[in-house]
Amino acid sequence: MTAHNDFNGYIDTKEGWVDRRIFWDQEIYEQELKQIFAKSWQFVAHDSMLPNVNDFYTTYMGEDGVVVARQKDLSVKVFLNSCPHRGNKFCYADDGNTRSFTCNYHGWSFGIDGKLGALANEHVYDKGDIDKEKWGPRQARVDSYKGLIFATFDPEAPSLEEWLGDFRWYLDMMLDGDGSGTEFIGGGIKSYVNANWKFGVENFVGDAYHALWNHDSGLKAMNNGEGFGPAVTEGSYHASMNGHGWEFGTDGFADVIIMGRPKWTEYVQNVLKPQMKERLGELRSTIYGSLASVSLFPNCSFLPGIQTFRVWLPRGPRKLELRTWTIVNKSMPDDIKQEINIGCMQTFNPAGVLEMDDGENWEGNTSVNKGYLTRQEKLHYGCGINRQIQHEELPGTIYAGQFNDANQRQFYQRWADLMNADSWDDIPTRYTPRYSGKSTV
Amino acid sequence: MSSTQEEFNPHSPSLELMNEVQQFLYREARLQDTENFRDWLTMLAEDIHYWMPYRYQRYRKNAKEPTIYDQAYYNDTMEDLKKRILRTETGTCWSEDPATRAAHIVTNIEVELSNNPNEYQVYSLITVRRNMNEDEEHTMVGHRTDTLRRVGGELKLAKRKIILDQNIFMNKSLNVYL
Repeated sequence: MTAHNDFNGYIDTKEGWVDRRIFWDQEIYEQELKQIFAKSWQFVAHDSMLPNVNDFYTTYMGEDGVVVARQKDLSVKVFLNSCPHRGNKFCYADDGNTRSFTCNYHGWSFGIDGKLGALANEHVYDKGDIDKEKWGPRQARVDSYKGLIFATFDPEAPSLEEWLGDFRWYLDMMLDGDGSGTEFIGGGIKSYVNANWKFGVENFVGDAYHALWNHDSGLKAMNNGEGFGPAVTEGSYHASMNGHGWEFGTDGFADVIIMGRPKWTEYVQNVLKPQMKERLGELRSTIYGSLASVSLFPNCSFLPGIQTFRVWLPRGPRKLELRTWTIVNKSMPDDIKQEINIGCMQTFNPAGVLEMDDGENWEGNTSVNKGYLTRQEKLHYGCGINRQIQHEELPGTIYAGQFNDANQRQFYQRWADLMNADSWDDIPTRYTPRYSGKSTV
Repeated sequence: MSSTQEEFNPHSPSLELMNEVQQFLYREARLQDTENFRDWLTMLAEDIHYWMPYRYQRYRKNAKEPTIYDQAYYNDTMEDLKKRILRTETGTCWSEDPATRAAHIVTNIEVELSNNPNEYQVYSLITVRRNMNEDEEHTMVGHRTDTLRRVGGELKLAKRKIILDQNIFMNKSLNVYL
């Protein structure tokens, strides 16, 4: 396979299908690491995970391990977690606070800024053997949007603001609902799912449809035995912007209720919604809390109202690492934060009554492709294919009805666009931005 | 690595008590394996706290105990546990049909008397071997610290803290109790 393989051949957004080999083939996966994960801005941490100078968190961009570190000037640096001497990871902890990292192998040490510092037994090196300025781990570009820290290793990538584009209008519901900012609940849950990473992302980018059937038992557990009402397509939408997608209703409370915490529901109704209405307007305060799900291209997702926040880290074509957190507004009282913590965890972590059913499906979606004939078959993505509309207030590519495959089609279109591109000039913007250079609050 | 000496209660538990606690934990395990969840609930105190906190690996200098305000696999009251059990009774819990086959293996049981004559601190190791779907086999190990309370002559589980060995939980779901 070469970079000139036409990945548009693996999807068809007009006919509405996707080729199953993109969920299985090792060659395609290797191309994803290069074309998607070495290029895209990716969520690496939330500001609240690194409150103090010298705080760090380790994660991955694609399969490249990175350290995310808070600097003395409170800025954040992101650099490869690999010693330039023989390559070993120089940080084996998930998070912590340190002034430097020292590689276990030979004792090369690195500052919190990633710069190469002292070497153990440095006298064995003669003058001129090594230029320490040149031999630090590779640094990423770092930027943030309202508490979310993003990084990319591509110097040519557009700015984060351009990458997020009009999706910021939607993100503000989650990140700027009351102007106080957000934080993560302490800790984090990490788990493996033997599924292709894209199945997690596409589920959150637009799959409201599965909830009604797959999560019936989970919702009944959390909602006094009562399941979802019938699928309503009126007043609900898919919104997509360069692969980022938000599917949502306008009932205002379906996802809030799924948490099964009456105090949270009351808070949303009496405190949060009025604040959002004032800050973000009527429409956005109505969207927030409705049956909805969101993915940021390429691999970050969350549920407004249920407050789970996660990344889907690729671990080969047939395995992903899921990292989940719980996001709350800073201004919320402690008892409300704890209600969210408990309700979110009871629904969305590997032991959560909703999450438990998802992994089963995605592993099945993936493993069947071991069959040669099976993986020659296409998958159907045609739901609501003719329902595109223009909307006065909603930015992005809008489709009517949240039971739709529109956002998934757009996600795979963006995937193909990046997979095909030799340079950023080859990558089209497939919607008409309304907020370029403008604030979305 | 701790330098503080563990404090042992000078009064060792009686063999009768050891036996009673062991039988209690085995019965719990059997009710789990056979999916008799409602019967299992009767073994729990009304004010049960069932807690399995998140797990991170940290440098020793950065060691930190999880709190109930952090993320957790389980952080449940009786009401919360009932919700989980309700899920398995809805008839629409597709991932549990065909049923998961689980073996709860309880070992390393240690009973400590406390200052409260009606409460015992019980340590045990729980190993769950889970077989599901066609051929999937998973092993999960947890270190449990329980508080067992004598209520009206019967033992009840009042508190359980489970520390999982796995840093990254190695499976798609935790559909069994540890």
